[in-house]
Amino acid sequence: MKVRFWGVRGSIPVPGPRTNRYGGNTSCVAVRSPGGTDVVLDAGTGLRKLGQELMQRGFGEGKGEAHLLISHTHWDHIQGLPFFAPLHKAGNQFCVYARERAGTPLRSVIATQYDDPYFAVPFDAVKADVDFRELGDGARFELGDVRVSSARLNHPWIATAYRLDSGPASSPASMVYATDTAPFRDILFGEAVAAPPASGAALPAVDVARLGELRASLIDLCRGAQVLVHDAQFTDAEYRERPHWGHSTPDDAIDIALAAGVKTLVLFHHAPERGDDELDLVLAAARARAAGSGLEVLAAHEGLEFDLAERA
Amino acid sequence: MRVTFHGVRGSIPAPGPETNRYGGNTSCVSVRGAGGELVILDMGTGLVGLGKELMAQEFGRGAGAATVLLSHAHWDHIQGFPFFAPAFVPGNSFRVHGMARSSSLLEGILEGQMNPSYSPISSLRNLGATIELVAVTTGMPFDLGGGISVCAALNPHGSTAALAFRIEQAGRSVVYAPDVGYPDGGPSAEVLALYRGADLLIHDCTYTPADRAERRTRGYSSYADAADAAARAGVAQLAMFHYDQDYGDDVVDELARACRAELDHRGATACTLTAAREGMTLEV
Ligand SMILES: [Zn+2]
Ligand SMILES: [Zn+2]
Ligand SMILES: [Zn+2]
Repeated sequence: MKVRFWGVRGSIPVPGPRTNRYGGNTSCVAVRSPGGTDVVLDAGTGLRKLGQELMQRGFGEGKGEAHLLISHTHWDHIQGLPFFAPLHKAGNQFCVYARERAGTPLRSVIATQYDDPYFAVPFDAVKADVDFRELGDGARFELGDVRVSSARLNHPWIATAYRLDSGPASSPASMVYATDTAPFRDILFGEAVAAPPASGAALPAVDVARLGELRASLIDLCRGAQVLVHDAQFTDAEYRERPHWGHSTPDDAIDIALAAGVKTLVLFHHAPERGDDELDLVLAAARARAAGSGLEVLAAHEGLEFDLAERA
Repeated sequence: MRVTFHGVRGSIPAPGPETNRYGGNTSCVSVRGAGGELVILDMGTGLVGLGKELMAQEFGRGAGAATVLLSHAHWDHIQGFPFFAPAFVPGNSFRVHGMARSSSLLEGILEGQMNPSYSPISSLRNLGATIELVAVTTGMPFDLGGGISVCAALNPHGSTAALAFRIEQAGRSVVYAPDVGYPDGGPSAEVLALYRGADLLIHDCTYTPADRAERRTRGYSSYADAADAAARAGVAQLAMFHYDQDYGDDVVDELARACRAELDHRGATACTLTAAREGMTLEV
Protein backbone atom coordinates (compact mmCIF):
# COMPACT_ATOMS: atom_id res chain seq x y z
CA MET A 1 0.00 0.00 0.00
CA LYS A 2 1.22 3.47 -0.87
CA VAL A 3 0.50 6.20 1.65
CA ARG A 4 0.68 9.97 1.15
CA PHE A 5 -0.09 12.76 3.63
CA TRP A 6 -2.03 15.75 2.25
CA GLY A 7 -3.04 17.44 5.51
CA VAL A 8 -1.49 16.86 8.94
CA ARG A 9 -3.00 19.63 11.09
CA GLY A 10 -5.70 19.54 13.72
CA SER A 11 -8.48 22.02 14.51
CA ILE A 12 -8.05 24.64 11.77
CA PRO A 13 -5.85 25.23 8.72
CA VAL A 14 -2.82 27.42 9.46
CA PRO A 15 -1.30 29.14 6.42
CA GLY A 16 1.91 31.12 6.78
CA PRO A 17 5.68 30.81 6.69
CA ARG A 18 5.80 29.09 10.10
CA THR A 19 4.09 26.01 8.66
CA ASN A 20 5.83 25.75 5.28
CA ARG A 21 7.72 22.56 6.09
CA TYR A 22 5.12 20.44 7.91
CA GLY A 23 2.16 22.06 6.14
CA GLY A 24 -0.90 23.94 7.30
CA ASN A 25 -3.76 21.86 5.88
CA THR A 26 -6.13 19.88 8.08
CA SER A 27 -6.29 16.08 8.19
CA CYS A 28 -6.21 14.06 4.98
CA VAL A 29 -4.22 10.92 4.11
CA ALA A 30 -4.46 8.99 0.83
CA VAL A 31 -3.82 5.25 0.57
CA ARG A 32 -3.60 3.20 -2.63
CA SER A 33 -3.54 -0.57 -2.44
CA PRO A 34 -1.52 -2.89 -4.70
CA GLY A 35 -4.83 -3.80 -6.39
CA GLY A 36 -5.54 -0.10 -7.12
CA THR A 37 -8.14 0.54 -4.41
CA ASP A 38 -8.14 4.23 -3.43
CA VAL A 39 -8.85 4.91 0.23
CA VAL A 40 -8.89 8.43 1.66
CA LEU A 41 -8.64 8.91 5.42
CA ASP A 42 -10.46 12.09 6.44
CA ALA A 43 -11.42 15.06 4.30
CA GLY A 44 -9.77 18.13 5.86
CA THR A 45 -8.43 20.92 3.62
CA GLY A 46 -5.62 18.62 2.42
CA LEU A 47 -8.32 16.94 0.32
CA ARG A 48 -8.38 19.92 -2.08
CA LYS A 49 -4.82 19.26 -3.29
CA LEU A 50 -5.38 15.49 -3.37
CA GLY A 51 -8.40 16.19 -5.59
CA GLN A 52 -6.24 18.17 -8.01
CA GLU A 53 -3.89 15.19 -8.27
CA LEU A 54 -6.71 12.67 -8.73
CA MET A 55 -8.11 14.79 -11.56
CA GLN A 56 -4.88 14.01 -13.46
CA ARG A 57 -5.82 10.31 -13.23
CA GLY A 58 -9.09 8.52 -14.06
CA PHE A 59 -11.07 10.93 -11.88
CA GLY A 60 -10.56 13.68 -14.47
CA GLU A 61 -12.45 11.55 -17.00
CA GLY A 62 -15.18 10.55 -14.56
CA LYS A 63 -13.79 7.03 -14.20
CA GLY A 64 -12.51 7.19 -10.65
CA GLU A 65 -13.63 5.30 -7.59
CA ALA A 66 -12.58 6.00 -4.00
CA HIS A 67 -13.61 5.23 -0.45
CA LEU A 68 -13.58 8.00 2.15
CA LEU A 69 -13.16 6.80 5.72
CA ILE A 70 -14.05 9.62 8.08
CA SER A 71 -12.75 9.49 11.67
CA HIS A 72 -15.56 11.83 12.78
CA THR A 73 -17.32 14.85 11.33
CA HIS A 74 -15.64 17.71 13.22
CA TRP A 75 -14.86 20.48 10.72
CA ASP A 76 -11.14 19.78 10.44
CA HIS A 77 -12.00 16.30 9.12
CA ILE A 78 -14.63 17.21 6.50
CA GLN A 79 -14.05 20.84 5.48
CA GLY A 80 -12.16 19.95 2.29
CA LEU A 81 -15.09 18.06 0.73
CA PRO A 82 -16.80 21.02 -0.98
CA PHE A 83 -13.47 21.79 -2.70
CA PHE A 84 -12.75 18.22 -3.83
CA ALA A 85 -12.82 18.54 -7.62
CA PRO A 86 -13.51 14.83 -8.41
CA LEU A 87 -16.89 15.13 -6.64
CA HIS A 88 -17.99 17.59 -9.29
CA LYS A 89 -17.23 15.22 -12.20
CA ALA A 90 -20.03 12.94 -13.36
CA GLY A 91 -19.18 9.24 -13.44
CA ASN A 92 -16.85 9.21 -10.44
CA GLN A 93 -17.96 6.99 -7.59
CA PHE A 94 -17.43 7.63 -3.93
CA CYS A 95 -18.51 6.00 -0.74
CA VAL A 96 -18.25 7.88 2.55
CA TYR A 97 -17.95 5.87 5.77
CA ALA A 98 -18.35 7.13 9.31
CA ARG A 99 -19.74 6.04 12.65
CA GLU A 100 -23.53 5.82 12.86
CA ARG A 101 -25.30 8.36 15.06
CA ALA A 102 -28.78 8.01 16.46
CA GLY A 103 -31.02 10.58 14.80
CA THR A 104 -28.41 12.16 12.51
CA PRO A 105 -28.01 10.43 9.15
CA LEU A 106 -24.44 10.71 7.83
CA ARG A 107 -25.66 11.99 4.47
CA SER A 108 -27.41 14.96 6.06
CA VAL A 109 -24.40 15.76 8.27
CA ILE A 110 -22.24 15.94 5.14
CA ALA A 111 -24.90 17.64 2.98
CA THR A 112 -25.53 20.41 5.52
CA GLN A 113 -21.98 21.61 4.90
CA TYR A 114 -23.06 22.45 1.33
CA ASP A 115 -26.38 24.02 2.27
CA ASP A 116 -27.36 27.63 1.95
CA PRO A 117 -26.21 29.86 3.65
CA TYR A 118 -22.88 28.06 4.24
CA PHE A 119 -21.90 27.14 0.68
CA ALA A 120 -22.91 28.00 -2.86
CA VAL A 121 -23.47 24.55 -4.39
CA PRO A 122 -26.03 22.28 -2.70
CA PHE A 123 -24.96 18.67 -2.16
CA ASP A 124 -27.74 17.51 -4.49
CA ALA A 125 -25.90 19.26 -7.32
CA VAL A 126 -22.75 17.18 -6.81
CA LYS A 127 -22.26 15.28 -10.08
CA ALA A 128 -20.41 12.19 -8.89
CA ASP A 129 -22.18 9.18 -7.38
CA VAL A 130 -21.87 9.39 -3.61
CA ASP A 131 -22.94 6.62 -1.27
CA PHE A 132 -22.92 6.68 2.52
CA ARG A 133 -22.29 3.80 4.92
CA GLU A 134 -22.80 4.19 8.64
CA LEU A 135 -20.61 1.98 10.80
CA GLY A 136 -21.17 0.40 14.19
CA ASP A 137 -18.31 0.46 16.71
CA GLY A 138 -15.71 -2.16 15.76
CA ALA A 139 -17.03 -2.55 12.19
CA ARG A 140 -15.00 -4.70 9.77
CA PHE A 141 -15.47 -4.77 6.00
CA GLU A 142 -13.60 -5.12 2.72
CA LEU A 143 -12.91 -2.52 0.06
CA GLY A 144 -11.54 -4.37 -2.96
CA ASP A 145 -8.23 -5.87 -1.82
CA VAL A 146 -8.19 -3.79 1.38
CA ARG A 147 -9.51 -5.23 4.65
CA VAL A 148 -10.78 -2.53 7.01
CA SER A 149 -11.25 -2.92 10.74
CA SER A 150 -12.05 -0.21 13.26
CA ALA A 151 -12.15 0.76 16.92
CA ARG A 152 -13.82 3.47 18.93
CA LEU A 153 -11.63 6.36 20.10
CA ASN A 154 -11.90 8.61 23.14
CA HIS A 155 -12.93 12.01 21.76
CA PRO A 156 -15.85 14.44 22.17
CA TRP A 157 -18.72 13.14 19.98
CA ILE A 158 -16.59 9.93 19.52
CA ALA A 159 -14.12 9.28 16.70
CA THR A 160 -13.20 6.06 14.89
CA ALA A 161 -9.76 4.54 14.26
CA TYR A 162 -9.31 2.53 11.06
CA ARG A 163 -6.88 -0.26 10.26
CA LEU A 164 -6.15 -1.09 6.63
CA ASP A 165 -4.64 -4.46 5.68
CA SER A 166 -3.80 -5.63 2.20
CA GLY A 167 -1.44 -7.79 0.23
CA PRO A 168 -0.73 -11.52 0.28
CA ALA A 169 0.17 -13.36 3.49
CA SER A 170 3.79 -13.47 2.26
CA SER A 171 4.09 -9.65 2.28
CA PRO A 172 1.22 -8.18 4.28
CA ALA A 173 0.84 -4.41 4.50
CA SER A 174 -0.90 -2.84 7.46
CA MET A 175 -1.50 0.63 8.78
CA VAL A 176 -3.68 2.15 11.48
CA TYR A 177 -5.08 5.70 11.40
CA ALA A 178 -6.04 6.78 14.92
CA THR A 179 -7.07 10.41 15.28
CA ASP A 180 -8.64 12.22 17.23
CA THR A 181 -8.29 10.67 20.67
CA ALA A 182 -7.46 11.53 24.24
CA PRO A 183 -5.48 9.01 26.27
CA PHE A 184 -7.67 6.55 28.13
CA ARG A 185 -7.33 7.84 31.67
CA ASP A 186 -8.93 11.14 32.73
CA ILE A 187 -12.26 11.41 30.91
CA LEU A 188 -14.55 8.99 29.15
CA PHE A 189 -15.93 10.88 26.16
CA GLY A 190 -19.31 10.20 24.65
CA GLU A 191 -21.75 12.18 22.56
CA ALA A 192 -22.46 14.69 25.34
CA VAL A 193 -20.59 17.97 25.74
CA ALA A 194 -17.29 17.35 27.48
CA ALA A 195 -16.54 19.33 30.63
CA PRO A 196 -13.13 19.35 32.27
CA PRO A 197 -12.88 16.67 34.96
CA ALA A 198 -13.40 17.96 38.50
CA SER A 199 -9.95 18.47 39.96
CA GLY A 200 -8.96 15.80 42.43
CA ALA A 201 -12.18 13.83 41.93
CA ALA A 202 -11.69 10.17 41.11
CA LEU A 203 -13.31 8.82 37.93
CA PRO A 204 -16.32 6.57 38.52
CA ALA A 205 -15.31 2.90 38.46
CA VAL A 206 -17.53 2.20 35.42
CA ASP A 207 -15.72 4.90 33.45
CA VAL A 208 -12.33 3.50 34.46
CA ALA A 209 -13.40 0.06 33.31
CA ARG A 210 -14.79 1.35 30.00
CA LEU A 211 -11.63 3.37 29.32
CA GLY A 212 -9.60 0.20 29.94
CA GLU A 213 -11.72 -1.65 27.38
CA LEU A 214 -11.36 1.14 24.81
CA ARG A 215 -7.59 1.25 25.25
CA ALA A 216 -7.38 -2.53 24.92
CA SER A 217 -9.48 -2.48 21.74
CA LEU A 218 -7.28 0.21 20.17
CA ILE A 219 -4.15 -1.79 21.06
CA ASP A 220 -5.76 -4.89 19.55
CA LEU A 221 -6.51 -2.92 16.39
CA CYS A 222 -2.88 -1.75 16.18
CA ARG A 223 -1.35 -5.14 17.05
CA GLY A 224 1.64 -5.80 14.79
CA ALA A 225 0.79 -3.00 12.34
CA GLN A 226 3.69 -1.65 10.29
CA VAL A 227 2.60 1.94 10.73
CA LEU A 228 0.45 3.72 13.29
CA VAL A 229 -0.66 7.28 12.49
CA HIS A 230 -1.73 8.72 15.84
CA ASP A 231 -3.05 12.00 17.27
CA ALA A 232 -0.16 13.84 18.98
CA GLN A 233 -1.59 17.35 19.17
CA PHE A 234 -0.71 18.26 22.74
CA THR A 235 2.38 18.89 24.80
CA ASP A 236 2.16 17.54 28.36
CA ALA A 237 1.37 21.03 29.70
CA GLU A 238 -1.37 21.60 27.11
CA TYR A 239 -2.92 18.25 27.93
CA ARG A 240 -3.03 19.09 31.64
CA GLU A 241 -4.81 22.35 30.80
CA ARG A 242 -7.29 20.90 28.29
CA PRO A 243 -7.88 17.20 28.99
CA HIS A 244 -11.50 17.70 27.86
CA TRP A 245 -10.49 18.59 24.28
CA GLY A 246 -9.88 14.95 23.45
CA HIS A 247 -6.31 14.86 22.15
CA SER A 248 -3.12 12.96 23.01
CA THR A 249 0.53 13.80 23.55
CA PRO A 250 3.39 12.08 21.67
CA ASP A 251 4.07 10.05 24.84
CA ASP A 252 0.50 8.71 24.79
CA ALA A 253 0.96 7.74 21.14
CA ILE A 254 4.27 6.01 21.93
CA ASP A 255 2.61 4.05 24.75
CA ILE A 256 -0.03 2.68 22.37
CA ALA A 257 2.55 1.93 19.66
CA LEU A 258 4.83 0.03 22.07
CA ALA A 259 1.95 -1.88 23.67
CA ALA A 260 0.81 -3.00 20.20
CA GLY A 261 4.27 -3.84 18.83
CA VAL A 262 3.99 -1.35 15.98
CA LYS A 263 7.10 -0.75 13.85
CA THR A 264 6.67 2.91 12.94
CA LEU A 265 4.71 5.65 14.69
CA VAL A 266 3.71 8.76 12.72
CA LEU A 267 2.84 11.74 14.94
CA PHE A 268 -0.22 13.43 13.42
CA HIS A 269 -2.90 16.13 13.90
CA HIS A 270 -0.36 18.77 14.89
CA ALA A 271 -1.58 21.72 16.94
CA PRO A 272 -2.39 24.74 14.77
CA GLU A 273 -0.17 27.02 16.85
CA ARG A 274 2.93 24.77 16.54
CA GLY A 275 5.46 26.17 14.04
CA ASP A 276 7.90 24.04 12.05
CA ASP A 277 10.83 24.57 14.44
CA GLU A 278 8.69 23.63 17.44
CA LEU A 279 7.52 20.47 15.65
CA ASP A 280 11.17 19.55 15.04
CA LEU A 281 11.63 19.69 18.83
CA VAL A 282 8.48 17.64 19.48
CA LEU A 283 9.78 14.99 17.09
CA ALA A 284 13.28 14.98 18.63
CA ALA A 285 11.82 14.57 22.12
CA ALA A 286 9.56 11.73 20.99
CA ARG A 287 12.48 9.96 19.32
CA ALA A 288 14.52 10.29 22.49
CA ARG A 289 11.66 8.83 24.48
CA ALA A 290 11.34 5.87 22.09
CA ALA A 291 15.11 5.31 21.81
CA GLY A 292 16.16 1.73 22.43
CA SER A 293 12.61 0.39 22.05
CA GLY A 294 13.00 -0.37 18.35
CA LEU A 295 10.08 1.93 17.53
CA GLU A 296 10.74 4.33 14.66
CA VAL A 297 9.06 7.73 15.15
CA LEU A 298 8.18 10.16 12.34
CA ALA A 299 6.24 13.41 12.35
CA ALA A 300 3.71 13.66 9.54
CA HIS A 301 4.27 16.45 7.04
CA GLU A 302 2.45 17.31 3.84
CA GLY A 303 3.99 15.30 1.04
CA LEU A 304 5.32 12.53 3.34
CA GLU A 305 5.02 9.39 1.28
CA PHE A 306 5.91 5.75 1.78
CA ASP A 307 5.20 2.32 0.37
CA LEU A 308 4.35 -0.19 3.08
CA ALA A 309 5.77 -2.96 0.87
CA GLU A 310 9.19 -1.37 1.34
CA ARG A 311 8.74 -1.24 5.12
CA ALA A 312 7.89 -4.93 5.63
CA MET B 1 -9.65 54.76 11.13
CA ARG B 2 -6.94 52.12 11.02
CA VAL B 3 -7.70 49.17 8.74
CA THR B 4 -5.75 45.90 9.17
CA PHE B 5 -6.01 42.79 7.00
CA HIS B 6 -5.90 39.45 8.84
CA GLY B 7 -7.11 37.19 6.03
CA VAL B 8 -7.38 38.08 2.33
CA ARG B 9 -8.19 34.74 0.71
CA GLY B 10 -11.51 33.49 -0.65
CA SER B 11 -13.30 30.11 -0.47
CA ILE B 12 -10.84 28.02 1.56
CA PRO B 13 -7.57 28.66 3.41
CA ALA B 14 -4.56 28.08 1.16
CA PRO B 15 -1.48 27.13 3.22
CA GLY B 16 1.89 26.66 1.54
CA PRO B 17 5.02 28.57 0.55
CA GLU B 18 3.30 29.88 -2.59
CA THR B 19 0.97 32.07 -0.48
CA ASN B 20 3.49 33.30 2.12
CA ARG B 21 3.61 36.92 0.94
CA TYR B 22 -0.11 37.72 0.57
CA GLY B 23 -1.24 35.10 3.07
CA GLY B 24 -3.48 32.04 2.92
CA ASN B 25 -6.09 32.86 5.58
CA THR B 26 -9.70 33.49 4.63
CA SER B 27 -11.48 36.82 4.94
CA CYS B 28 -11.08 38.96 8.04
CA VAL B 29 -10.37 42.70 8.33
CA SER B 30 -10.35 44.86 11.44
CA VAL B 31 -11.15 48.57 11.63
CA ARG B 32 -10.02 50.59 14.67
CA GLY B 33 -11.88 53.83 15.16
CA ALA B 34 -10.24 57.04 16.36
CA GLY B 35 -11.53 56.33 19.89
CA GLY B 36 -10.29 52.73 19.91
CA GLU B 37 -13.64 51.28 18.78
CA LEU B 38 -13.20 47.87 17.16
CA VAL B 39 -15.13 46.70 14.11
CA ILE B 40 -14.38 43.24 12.70
CA LEU B 41 -15.31 42.56 9.07
CA ASP B 42 -16.02 38.83 8.57
CA MET B 43 -14.72 35.88 10.53
CA GLY B 44 -12.63 33.75 8.17
CA THR B 45 -9.51 32.01 9.52
CA GLY B 46 -7.76 35.40 9.70
CA LEU B 47 -9.88 35.97 12.81
CA VAL B 48 -7.77 33.46 14.77
CA GLY B 49 -4.64 35.61 14.55
CA LEU B 50 -6.62 38.76 15.34
CA GLY B 51 -8.04 36.97 18.39
CA LYS B 52 -4.54 36.20 19.67
CA GLU B 53 -3.55 39.87 19.37
CA LEU B 54 -6.72 40.98 21.14
CA MET B 55 -6.06 38.63 24.06
CA ALA B 56 -3.04 40.78 24.96
CA GLN B 57 -5.40 43.72 25.45
CA GLU B 58 -8.69 44.23 27.32
CA PHE B 59 -10.19 41.13 25.69
CA GLY B 60 -7.77 38.98 27.70
CA ARG B 61 -9.30 40.35 30.90
CA GLY B 62 -12.91 39.98 29.77
CA ALA B 63 -13.33 43.70 29.33
CA GLY B 64 -13.46 43.91 25.54
CA ALA B 65 -16.31 44.82 23.22
CA ALA B 66 -16.44 44.73 19.44
CA THR B 67 -18.85 44.88 16.54
CA VAL B 68 -18.73 42.16 13.89
CA LEU B 69 -20.09 42.93 10.43
CA LEU B 70 -20.77 39.69 8.60
CA SER B 71 -21.08 39.97 4.80
CA HIS B 72 -22.69 36.51 4.54
CA ALA B 73 -22.28 33.08 6.10
CA HIS B 74 -20.28 31.17 3.49
CA TRP B 75 -17.61 29.13 5.31
CA ASP B 76 -14.70 31.36 4.36
CA HIS B 77 -16.44 34.21 6.23
CA ILE B 78 -17.29 32.38 9.47
CA GLN B 79 -14.86 29.47 9.85
CA GLY B 80 -12.55 31.33 12.24
CA PHE B 81 -15.30 31.95 14.79
CA PRO B 82 -14.96 28.68 16.80
CA PHE B 83 -11.24 29.46 17.21
CA PHE B 84 -11.57 33.12 18.21
CA ALA B 85 -10.06 33.17 21.71
CA PRO B 86 -11.84 36.36 22.96
CA ALA B 87 -15.23 34.68 22.41
CA PHE B 88 -14.37 32.23 25.21
CA VAL B 89 -13.64 34.90 27.84
CA PRO B 90 -16.62 35.79 30.06
CA GLY B 91 -17.16 39.54 30.20
CA ASN B 92 -16.29 40.22 26.56
CA SER B 93 -19.19 41.18 24.35
CA PHE B 94 -19.71 40.98 20.61
CA ARG B 95 -22.55 42.28 18.56
CA VAL B 96 -22.74 40.49 15.22
CA HIS B 97 -24.64 42.21 12.41
CA GLY B 98 -25.37 39.86 9.54
CA MET B 99 -27.53 38.93 6.61
CA ALA B 100 -30.67 37.06 7.67
CA ARG B 101 -34.39 37.71 7.74
CA SER B 102 -34.34 37.88 11.53
CA SER B 103 -31.85 37.87 14.37
CA SER B 104 -33.01 34.42 15.48
CA LEU B 105 -32.35 33.05 11.98
CA LEU B 106 -28.88 34.60 12.13
CA GLU B 107 -28.37 32.94 15.50
CA GLY B 108 -29.47 29.64 13.98
CA ILE B 109 -26.82 29.96 11.26
CA LEU B 110 -23.98 30.41 13.76
CA GLU B 111 -25.51 27.82 16.10
CA GLY B 112 -25.44 25.34 13.19
CA GLN B 113 -21.68 25.87 12.86
CA MET B 114 -21.20 24.88 16.52
CA ASN B 115 -23.50 21.82 16.31
CA PRO B 116 -21.91 18.82 18.10
CA SER B 117 -21.65 16.90 14.81
CA TYR B 118 -19.13 19.50 13.67
CA SER B 119 -17.63 21.17 16.71
CA PRO B 120 -16.86 20.24 20.30
CA ILE B 121 -18.21 23.66 21.30
CA SER B 122 -21.72 22.28 20.63
CA SER B 123 -23.56 25.57 21.11
CA LEU B 124 -23.06 29.33 21.11
CA ARG B 125 -24.17 29.12 24.74
CA ASN B 126 -20.87 27.46 25.60
CA LEU B 127 -18.91 30.52 24.51
CA GLY B 128 -18.08 32.57 27.59
CA ALA B 129 -18.55 35.97 25.96
CA THR B 130 -21.90 37.63 25.33
CA ILE B 131 -22.84 37.30 21.67
CA GLU B 132 -25.70 39.42 20.42
CA LEU B 133 -27.06 38.89 16.93
CA VAL B 134 -28.67 41.53 14.77
CA ALA B 135 -30.20 41.07 11.33
CA VAL B 136 -29.12 43.94 9.07
CA THR B 137 -31.66 46.04 7.22
CA THR B 138 -30.04 47.34 4.04
CA GLY B 139 -30.16 51.05 3.37
CA MET B 140 -30.81 51.84 7.04
CA PRO B 141 -27.70 53.37 8.67
CA PHE B 142 -27.00 52.30 12.24
CA ASP B 143 -24.69 53.74 14.90
CA LEU B 144 -21.94 51.82 16.67
CA GLY B 145 -21.13 54.58 19.15
CA GLY B 146 -17.98 56.70 19.06
CA GLY B 147 -19.42 58.55 16.09
CA ILE B 148 -19.18 55.49 13.86
CA SER B 149 -22.07 54.86 11.53
CA VAL B 150 -22.57 51.86 9.27
CA CYS B 151 -24.74 51.38 6.22
CA ALA B 152 -25.22 48.16 4.25
CA ALA B 153 -26.32 47.29 0.73
CA LEU B 154 -26.96 43.93 -0.91
CA ASN B 155 -24.69 42.63 -3.68
CA PRO B 156 -25.46 39.66 -5.95
CA HIS B 157 -23.19 36.69 -5.17
CA GLY B 158 -23.84 33.66 -7.37
CA SER B 159 -26.97 31.86 -6.24
CA THR B 160 -27.17 34.08 -3.16
CA ALA B 161 -26.26 37.60 -2.01
CA ALA B 162 -23.69 39.22 0.24
CA LEU B 163 -23.73 42.47 2.16
CA ALA B 164 -21.37 45.34 1.44
CA PHE B 165 -20.77 47.73 4.35
CA ARG B 166 -19.81 51.41 4.48
CA ILE B 167 -18.26 52.50 7.77
CA GLU B 168 -17.95 56.22 8.48
CA GLN B 169 -16.30 58.15 11.26
CA ALA B 170 -15.49 61.87 11.37
CA GLY B 171 -16.02 62.30 7.64
CA ARG B 172 -13.80 59.34 6.71
CA SER B 173 -15.19 56.24 5.01
CA VAL B 174 -14.19 52.63 4.48
CA VAL B 175 -16.28 50.35 2.27
CA TYR B 176 -16.03 46.55 2.49
CA ALA B 177 -17.41 44.68 -0.53
CA PRO B 178 -16.25 41.05 -0.64
CA ASP B 179 -17.89 38.31 -2.72
CA VAL B 180 -19.76 40.03 -5.51
CA GLY B 181 -20.55 38.99 -9.06
CA TYR B 182 -22.17 41.95 -10.80
CA PRO B 183 -24.56 41.48 -13.69
CA ASP B 184 -23.47 42.85 -17.09
CA GLY B 185 -24.44 46.41 -16.17
CA GLY B 186 -22.10 46.48 -13.14
CA PRO B 187 -23.05 47.54 -9.61
CA SER B 188 -26.61 48.65 -8.86
CA ALA B 189 -27.33 52.35 -8.24
CA GLU B 190 -27.82 51.59 -4.56
CA VAL B 191 -24.46 49.84 -4.31
CA LEU B 192 -22.68 52.57 -6.29
CA ALA B 193 -24.14 55.09 -3.85
CA LEU B 194 -22.71 53.05 -0.98
CA TYR B 195 -19.23 53.01 -2.60
CA ARG B 196 -19.38 56.65 -3.78
CA GLY B 197 -16.30 58.71 -2.90
CA ALA B 198 -15.05 56.26 -0.26
CA ASP B 199 -11.57 56.90 1.11
CA LEU B 200 -10.96 53.16 0.89
CA LEU B 201 -12.90 50.50 -1.04
CA ILE B 202 -11.97 46.90 -0.12
CA HIS B 203 -13.33 44.96 -3.07
CA ASP B 204 -13.63 41.34 -4.17
CA CYS B 205 -10.86 40.52 -6.62
CA THR B 206 -11.10 36.75 -6.79
CA TYR B 207 -10.28 36.19 -10.45
CA THR B 208 -8.58 37.18 -13.65
CA PRO B 209 -11.20 38.19 -16.26
CA ALA B 210 -10.60 34.88 -18.08
CA ASP B 211 -11.22 32.76 -14.96
CA ARG B 212 -14.22 34.90 -14.09
CA ALA B 213 -15.72 34.31 -17.56
CA GLU B 214 -15.28 30.56 -17.11
CA ARG B 215 -16.75 30.52 -13.58
CA ARG B 216 -19.36 33.22 -13.92
CA THR B 217 -22.06 31.45 -11.91
CA ARG B 218 -19.87 31.43 -8.81
CA GLY B 219 -20.56 35.13 -8.31
CA TYR B 220 -17.13 36.68 -7.86
CA SER B 221 -15.36 39.68 -9.37
CA SER B 222 -12.29 39.91 -11.53
CA TYR B 223 -9.75 42.70 -11.05
CA ALA B 224 -11.41 44.42 -14.02
CA ASP B 225 -14.79 44.38 -12.22
CA ALA B 226 -13.10 45.79 -9.10
CA ALA B 227 -11.38 48.55 -11.10
CA ASP B 228 -14.62 49.37 -12.88
CA ALA B 229 -16.56 49.70 -9.60
CA ALA B 230 -13.78 51.83 -8.06
CA ALA B 231 -13.60 54.11 -11.07
CA ARG B 232 -17.36 54.57 -11.35
CA ALA B 233 -17.72 55.30 -7.63
CA GLY B 234 -14.77 57.71 -7.62
CA VAL B 235 -13.07 56.14 -4.60
CA ALA B 236 -9.70 57.44 -3.40
CA GLN B 237 -8.14 54.03 -2.80
CA LEU B 238 -8.95 50.49 -3.92
CA ALA B 239 -7.76 47.45 -1.97
CA MET B 240 -7.88 44.17 -3.90
CA PHE B 241 -9.18 41.34 -1.68
CA HIS B 242 -10.49 37.71 -1.55
CA TYR B 243 -8.02 36.08 -3.96
CA ASP B 244 -8.73 32.65 -5.40
CA GLN B 245 -7.21 29.82 -3.34
CA ASP B 246 -5.22 28.55 -6.32
CA TYR B 247 -3.48 31.86 -7.05
CA GLY B 248 0.06 31.96 -5.70
CA ASP B 249 1.82 35.21 -4.76
CA ASP B 250 3.24 35.73 -8.24
CA VAL B 251 -0.23 35.52 -9.76
CA VAL B 252 -1.52 38.12 -7.28
CA ASP B 253 1.43 40.40 -8.24
CA GLU B 254 0.23 40.03 -11.84
CA LEU B 255 -3.39 40.81 -10.86
CA ALA B 256 -2.22 44.01 -9.17
CA ARG B 257 -0.30 45.17 -12.26
CA ALA B 258 -3.26 44.40 -14.49
CA CYS B 259 -5.71 46.09 -12.11
CA ARG B 260 -3.59 49.28 -12.15
CA ALA B 261 -3.81 49.29 -15.94
CA GLU B 262 -7.59 48.81 -15.77
CA LEU B 263 -7.95 51.77 -13.40
CA ASP B 264 -5.80 54.00 -15.63
CA HIS B 265 -7.69 52.85 -18.70
CA ARG B 266 -10.91 54.03 -17.01
CA GLY B 267 -9.42 57.40 -16.17
CA ALA B 268 -9.05 56.64 -12.45
CA THR B 269 -5.37 57.55 -12.44
CA ALA B 270 -5.75 59.32 -9.07
CA CYS B 271 -7.10 56.18 -7.41
CA THR B 272 -4.45 54.53 -5.23
CA LEU B 273 -4.27 50.75 -5.67
CA THR B 274 -3.25 48.27 -2.99
CA ALA B 275 -3.22 44.48 -3.15
CA ALA B 276 -4.30 43.52 0.38
CA ARG B 277 -2.02 41.13 2.23
CA GLU B 278 -2.09 39.66 5.69
CA GLY B 279 -0.67 41.98 8.31
CA MET B 280 -1.00 45.12 6.17
CA THR B 281 -2.41 48.22 7.87
CA LEU B 282 -3.88 51.20 6.01
CA GLU B 283 -4.58 54.53 7.74
CA VAL B 284 -7.75 56.16 6.50
ZN1 LIG C 1 -9.43 16.97 14.55
ZN1 LIG D 1 -12.31 16.32 16.64
ZN1 LIG E 1 -15.93 34.41 0.23
